[in-house]
Amino acid sequence: MMKSSSLSILFLLSLILALGFLNIVLSCALYNTYYPLYVILVFLIAPIPNSLTTCILQSNSYYNNNNMGYSDIDDYDPILTFQSLMKFLTGMLVSSGTFLPIVFWRCELIPTGSFLLSLTGGFLVYLSFALFGMGFTLKEENDYDF
Amino acid sequence: MSEGGRLFKFSLPFHVNQHSLKSITMYISGILYSLGLWLMIDASLFSKTINASVVHVTFIDWIPFICSTFGMIVVNSLDKVQLINSNNGMGSGFGSNLSQLQWQARIVLFIGFSLLAVGFNGSVLVLVLKFLIKGFTDFPTVKMGTENVGANFCVMLSCVILWIVSTIEEDNSLAL
Repeated sequence: MMKSSSLSILFLLSLILALGFLNIVLSCALYNTYYPLYVILVFLIAPIPNSLTTCILQSNSYYNNNNMGYSDIDDYDPILTFQSLMKFLTGMLVSSGTFLPIVFWRCELIPTGSFLLSLTGGFLVYLSFALFGMGFTLKEENDYDF
Repeated sequence: MSEGGRLFKFSLPFHVNQHSLKSITMYISGILYSLGLWLMIDASLFSKTINASVVHVTFIDWIPFICSTFGMIVVNSLDKVQLINSNNGMGSGFGSNLSQLQWQARIVLFIGFSLLAVGFNGSVLVLVLKFLIKGFTDFPTVKMGTENVGANFCVMLSCVILWIVSTIEEDNSLAL
């Protein structure tokens, strides 16, 4: 039951990712302007900081109990600072992926249809990555429970 | 948030704790900084593509934004513990008992805030000297100057949000 549901979630995510890429490529090809391809690049970079944070948190959780007392005394928590910086970078990258087609559209580099298609395509790509990360953490929690 | 008596009739539909509030403000700060950056890019792209006037965005228009960015980096990479210790220590103000590190923290913070102020005021200066005085006051041309001001204001707002959030966090940990 668990495996089939996770597999269907995987299918759904890949479908969303393919739809996002389809939207962006259509926005480039239908209107013969290849500027919206940068949206793919930005939204591919966007999930990297949060995944770095989860990676470091998971690798650090083994000796976290030893570190706890020192971090409370010293008020110095490098992992928390790194996490906030990565959240800042995530917000910056996701919103730049949103602002990129808007700026191109305002400067009349791309027409309105291309703008809408690339915006929705970028959101679908990032949605797929974010849901993929959330699905992975949920699955690992389930593994720990079993 | 309101375990005791209520102040307002309506309560928030969601429960806000400290950690999620901090992460949300981090995201908002990143979004604001990115908004400023893309306002600058919008102004320069406008100047390059559909600009009908003789004024163009040059490197001078980017200098205030670069100053604001450096100021933001300096202010937010400073460890706030030093400043709070100096306030808790031998009296506030310019006492002579402050250590070398606290003076360095104050000087670096001063440099950061003055870089931010130079960025914002420099953008207003560019708007006045480059656009308003020379008579380019019709809308699509003066948009390059006003977007510059808006970009620096966004960066300053983002820096203020980051600063307030980190200060709240320090206060909370000190109270614990």
